[in-house]
Amino acid sequence: MTKLQNKVAELFENGTINLMIGFKNALTNQPVPCFIENASQAELLIYTPECKNNLAVYLHKPEVKQSKKIGIFGNMATLRSIVQLTSENQFWDIEKTILTIDANDEVIVFANMEELETYVQENFPDISEEDLKLLAYLDSLTREERWNYWTEQFTACIKCYACRAVCPMCYCSQCTVECNQPQWVKVSSKTSGNMEWHTIRAMHLAGRCVNCGECGRTCPAGIPIHLLTARMNQDLFKEFGTRPGFSTKGEYALNTFKVDDKEGFIK
Amino acid sequence: MTKKVLSNNLSGNGINTFPMELKILTSANIPTFFNNLLQSGKVVVAPVLKKNGKVYFESVESYDQVSTDYIQTVFSAKSVVFPKVEELFSYTKKEDGSVEITNDMSNVPETVIWGLRPCDSSAFNYLTEFFLKENPDSYYKTRKERTTLISVSCAKADDACFCTSVGLNPGSTEGCDILLTAMGDFFYTEVMTEKGKALIDAKLFTDTEEKSKEEFLAKINIKFSIDEVKERIQNAYESSEWKHESMGCLSCGACAFSCPTCTCFDIQDEGTTENGKRLRCWDACGFGQFTQHASGHNPKTNQTARRRQRLLHKFKYSVENLGIVSCVGCGRCIRICPAHLNIFENILNVTKA
Amino acid sequence: MPDFEPKIVAFVCNWCTYAGADLAGTSRTKYAPNVRIVRFPCTGRIDFMLLMKAFENGADGVIISGCHPNDCHYTSGNFHARRRWITFRSLLDFIGFDIDRITFSWVSAAEGRKWAELVDEVTNTIRAKGPFTEISTLDSSKLKQLFYDEITK
Repeated sequence: MTKLQNKVAELFENGTINLMIGFKNALTNQPVPCFIENASQAELLIYTPECKNNLAVYLHKPEVKQSKKIGIFGNMATLRSIVQLTSENQFWDIEKTILTIDANDEVIVFANMEELETYVQENFPDISEEDLKLLAYLDSLTREERWNYWTEQFTACIKCYACRAVCPMCYCSQCTVECNQPQWVKVSSKTSGNMEWHTIRAMHLAGRCVNCGECGRTCPAGIPIHLLTARMNQDLFKEFGTRPGFSTKGEYALNTFKVDDKEGFIK
Repeated sequence: MTKKVLSNNLSGNGINTFPMELKILTSANIPTFFNNLLQSGKVVVAPVLKKNGKVYFESVESYDQVSTDYIQTVFSAKSVVFPKVEELFSYTKKEDGSVEITNDMSNVPETVIWGLRPCDSSAFNYLTEFFLKENPDSYYKTRKERTTLISVSCAKADDACFCTSVGLNPGSTEGCDILLTAMGDFFYTEVMTEKGKALIDAKLFTDTEEKSKEEFLAKINIKFSIDEVKERIQNAYESSEWKHESMGCLSCGACAFSCPTCTCFDIQDEGTTENGKRLRCWDACGFGQFTQHASGHNPKTNQTARRRQRLLHKFKYSVENLGIVSCVGCGRCIRICPAHLNIFENILNVTKA
Repeated sequence: MPDFEPKIVAFVCNWCTYAGADLAGTSRTKYAPNVRIVRFPCTGRIDFMLLMKAFENGADGVIISGCHPNDCHYTSGNFHARRRWITFRSLLDFIGFDIDRITFSWVSAAEGRKWAELVDEVTNTIRAKGPFTEISTLDSSKLKQLFYDEITK
């Protein structure tokens, strides 16, 4: 058994957790999220660089929350999501034990949120090289070219809402698109309806998204929607100095303000 | 194998009685055949490789755009006969207060879907049965009448394919008008219907005797016995395995939207009191609100219930309602799922003895 | 385009800009009649989607205006609005929307003249730009359809 598997078995045995969310190998030979309920299943757990899913999203699921004492394995994206969700006070009804594997292959079990916050702040990742290149490419286009690019992308969207489903920050029990009095966002997956959806999503995530990139990775139509929130985060950091997933204090770009926020464009 | 054989005619009841014709098309003539289809004024929908490295069905303008080296497209081709957004009618209030309702299907073009896999064309049988059996859907009927299906046999498969477990195989002719099987420098062509025959150009195709496709088809291990599954699933509703098998499900609609046999839809009106349209949009049983009543009650209270519904529908309720298992083993749901849920793994676990 | 008269929608707050527009009226100030005013209790109430909806329904330009910072009738509504505008403007620019068609301003209840001048300026700018067709033609334009979706309609 690996260090991780041993540690998890130990946590089950001493009653710290009664459910563990982690990764295992699937039949189709790729890591998949898995849910372990006792020590004997701990040997299923794996961790490789291919374990990219952001598992924090499962901490909102009612079937998972039934377990009350939840262990969760975090890659960096998951850890940052947990920090951000803590700042939004979303874990009031469960006890969670957070594990990760550091750069030296050691298993860390965070004793409390301060430890987690320190770890995350010390290892806070930058936006990936690939995404920076894509953003630079989009910046190099003229306004009309950018409009053509995005409207073509939005035409491909089928409104499956996989992007919303995988995002740990999208935890509203009734999403704004599910409200039909009035039907604020069009249900149909024509281009205009898709643009409405992606705009509203980007705005509701602005200042909260931790740039895990899951939405873009998961989109079946291959739309790089993670770039929308990545750009938001870049701009909000420039303007307001805020970084989602950095601190467990409850302030982020759009729920606070400063009296002297710059406003050059306002007449 | 008790899979019911459906005909390719639109009434969906009866066996295909067209006498199959066997032809040879040389590989060199494929682009010509393809471009002739385009030139005849038909819309041709074929698999195209996109920048993200995956293959999608798109309407194309030349054979150069068609992708041939792939296992399966991300989305099915059902959008040709069941679009993701379909205008059912438009309405306009006239000056005298009356309302004019317009529905014009005359512009739906003659279409050829090229490069379907045998699992996909078999799925069209299910769609026809579903849309036309009891209350014929005129929109589907019009689109299907104007669509010809050209399938290509599978030489390759991956871990997510399981057509052989649901009574199909990579060289099956179910549901298509023409099936092409690559055999070296030519394509063995099985012409299955009048519609298919109408596309055959005698200058490009030559007659041939029956050939064996076996050695040119992908080898797909059987994951389960469909008869055993159909029997055991009768008692699977109460299985305690469902909760564990659905834990990963995040209730998006990706599996339903990519599935070639999923037909659920939502009706939406877009417009004002003066004019607007009524639209039919894809919907998915995985969404939390799918079974939400206006009273606030939701009979499917959690994701476990919803995932169970989806799997039972494919393997039990379709059999009860329409006589066929509606899963065709294409594997799209497995490849697309953000949480990597695996339908045949789930089925095996809930029907364990 | 000589015959084109732009349609400008203005989302304004009740206590400052609406009152300012009222003052422009009672002072008999002449200004462009192209603006349609929608009254809100505060700019903090203005949902960014309203802007998109305005364009979808045929607006050629949009004005958003409210109380000056520190003068908000509800103390801090306009501060929140300002942050929201900064964010939304950045998003719109990123997706290639023409943000010059949206004008933000602070117009107080005493600034009737400023309101009139603002509307004139915006109307002239939009008139020069021409009608806004990018959003209303989105669904029927001949974009390459990833799906065979209403190609005929």
